[in-house]
Amino acid sequence: MVSRKKSSRKAGKKIQRPQDSAGKNFAAPVSADSEKTDAVRPNPASVVQEKQEQSMYAGDRSVKFDFIGKNRYWVIFTLIIIITGIIFFFVRGFNFGIDFLGGNLMEIKFQKNVTVAELRNEMEEIGYGKAILQNTADDQFIIRTTPLSDEQKELILTSLDEKIGIERPIVQDRNVAPGFSRTIIRNTLIAVAISIVGILIYVWIRFSVRFAVVAIIELIHDVLLILSIYTITFREFNATTIAVILTILGYSLSDAIVIFDRIREELRINKRDRFPVIINYSINKVLTRTLATMGTTLFPIIVLLIVGNETLKDFAFGLFVGIISGAYSSIFVGSPILIAWNSRFPKYKK
Amino acid sequence: MRSRLSNIITVIVFAIIIGICFYFIYPFQSSIKLGLDLKGGTQIILKPTETGTEEVTDEALDKAQLIILNRIDELGISEPLVTRDFNRNIIVQLPGVDDPERAIDVIGKTAQLEFKILESADENENPVFGPTLLTGDKLVKASAGYDQGGQIVVTMSFNDEGAEQFAKITTENVGKRLAIVLDGEMKSAPVIRQAITGGDAVIENIGTLEEAKDVALVLQTGALPVNLEIQESQTIGPTLGQDSLRQSMLAGIIGFVLIVILMVALYRGLGAISILGLLCYIIIFWGILAGLGTALTLPGIAGIVLTIGIAVDANVLIFARIKEEILKSKSKYAAFSEGFRNALKAIIDANITTLITAAALYRFGTGPIRGFAVTLAIGVVISLFTAVILVRAILFLIVDSRVVTPGFMGVKIDKRLSGTAVKEK
Repeated sequence: MVSRKKSSRKAGKKIQRPQDSAGKNFAAPVSADSEKTDAVRPNPASVVQEKQEQSMYAGDRSVKFDFIGKNRYWVIFTLIIIITGIIFFFVRGFNFGIDFLGGNLMEIKFQKNVTVAELRNEMEEIGYGKAILQNTADDQFIIRTTPLSDEQKELILTSLDEKIGIERPIVQDRNVAPGFSRTIIRNTLIAVAISIVGILIYVWIRFSVRFAVVAIIELIHDVLLILSIYTITFREFNATTIAVILTILGYSLSDAIVIFDRIREELRINKRDRFPVIINYSINKVLTRTLATMGTTLFPIIVLLIVGNETLKDFAFGLFVGIISGAYSSIFVGSPILIAWNSRFPKYKK
Repeated sequence: MRSRLSNIITVIVFAIIIGICFYFIYPFQSSIKLGLDLKGGTQIILKPTETGTEEVTDEALDKAQLIILNRIDELGISEPLVTRDFNRNIIVQLPGVDDPERAIDVIGKTAQLEFKILESADENENPVFGPTLLTGDKLVKASAGYDQGGQIVVTMSFNDEGAEQFAKITTENVGKRLAIVLDGEMKSAPVIRQAITGGDAVIENIGTLEEAKDVALVLQTGALPVNLEIQESQTIGPTLGQDSLRQSMLAGIIGFVLIVILMVALYRGLGAISILGLLCYIIIFWGILAGLGTALTLPGIAGIVLTIGIAVDANVLIFARIKEEILKSKSKYAAFSEGFRNALKAIIDANITTLITAAALYRFGTGPIRGFAVTLAIGVVISLFTAVILVRAILFLIVDSRVVTPGFMGVKIDKRLSGTAVKEK
């Protein structure tokens, strides 16, 4: 076995050179080289040989990791996070930003360093003791209040300028009318619904209905997980968060698709092994890819998480969670469901 | 599979495309327009609601947009952008405004000017009006200034039709009080002492000259056919935008270096070629953004980060397959062909699901989310060309070369083979 392989490999190498140089010569009749071509080009004979070789490989299920065997632990782990998220949602809810509640946000750079307590005192004196203060640098603050009129805004700015001294123009200023978020929420739900239906139909056509349903469950898992992380960490939930969720909706499914593609291929080639074995094998086969792609996408995002300003961090945080969740769900959420479904309604070898 | 000639042609076509892109990219500094969140500026989202007379139709909104543009021009703000979103909100973007509050005021003012007879007014200044006799659309000119008494006024001239009506009104109502109502607020109600035929009228009771100028400006540019409610106004100072841009660039560069290291570590020579593909991807992406004049926003940058991930992903999928084929003792040529063929389905399926979402986001998203959807879609399509077609052409051109050894592809043949052999026994 070993010797056959090694020798065929060597032979292939030797033959390849003259064959390929013949291939470059367009005028050369193919038949003249047919003997050499056989060794390399996939003509019918070599395809048969390849099939045999693959089925021999298929017997070799020496895979690195057993993802399927520990199925239930992964399911429990996923459920714990999401249930914690739901509990937090009912106990504390989301930390909605002004995009959702309406209100005013000013980011101000002061002429000297200011502590939260100092600024809180000043704001109380002007009559805005309830403002939410968040320092973005030693001398820079985000001040969130209810919606402000121009006069109120000017009052705050001039008072702070007299007491502490501020840099003008201020870093940013944002005013959102209450109720505006209704449109954002409606649009988001429409966009989510439309893309879910679109993806459902597409995966159904390209794979099968069970893969389509599993894909949607993975998507919903990813969205629920992001939402859970937002309630648990109580990070501000704003328009950026919505954009991030929509982004993850479009992106995270590619991990699942790659695994589905591999399962689809294995099911065609390998008629011998049981369904869970095939799934485990497929996941192992694409594991390097899943990790490599997760890595390459996460690199710039992690850098943003470290060096970015508040807006960028908002983006990076959500994407970070979403991308990891997408990779996780493609392995640990999709496969248990596929296997459970198949054991109940067998379509492939149990 | 494909002939050498077609591979050479592919590479040449890409070289030409990249040349064209450089034409758009050059000069570097000004090639890409930056969105408000990156260069600073003011964005206002205005929600139209019906005025008493007119419904919110597309024509009314078109007219409103035009009037807003005129007002912005009168304010002397350059490069404004007035667009409409899916919910028919009007979105006004003004880069670098000195006095955003004033701009927001002027833009959102309906400027519905009405002349009515004041029938009665009680102590609490609750006026009772007669029917509207004349409106602001008959104006030809409005200007701010002082009257003989040194009071701040806005002087208005009517067109012929307006002047005629005004003359008629003043003739018929001598001795009564004519109320001048701006956006529902009575500005003044002088007693008509005699018929006015000259076609001029004045608005009094205006606080400052600045305010008078704004009133004249909005009257001059005409009343908005719809009422506009300010839903959101946002002003980003120039420093914040610069910070975001600098940090994103830094993240991009560090991220790119890490991607290079990872790809070369995993796939050696193949990885290096995919980096070449990735560079072409970035140049073409940049060229298209510059060519289309699309403004780059923060969500757009997020989109670019993701599409770089997608572009690299396509190569990772292909190379992983090539490695597998090499391990099955295929020849280099067969391994490359099979590798591309096997990976293509997954690449296309994954990209199409991404495009489906991008389409939904574009159709139903607002402002920045749309920008993100556009960059995502452009990126997905370009990445298919660079990561699949270009990289494939280059690989097949060098497949014969002595350089392309298993080591070049990141495969350790001997160790692996003996490993499988042991397991197979």
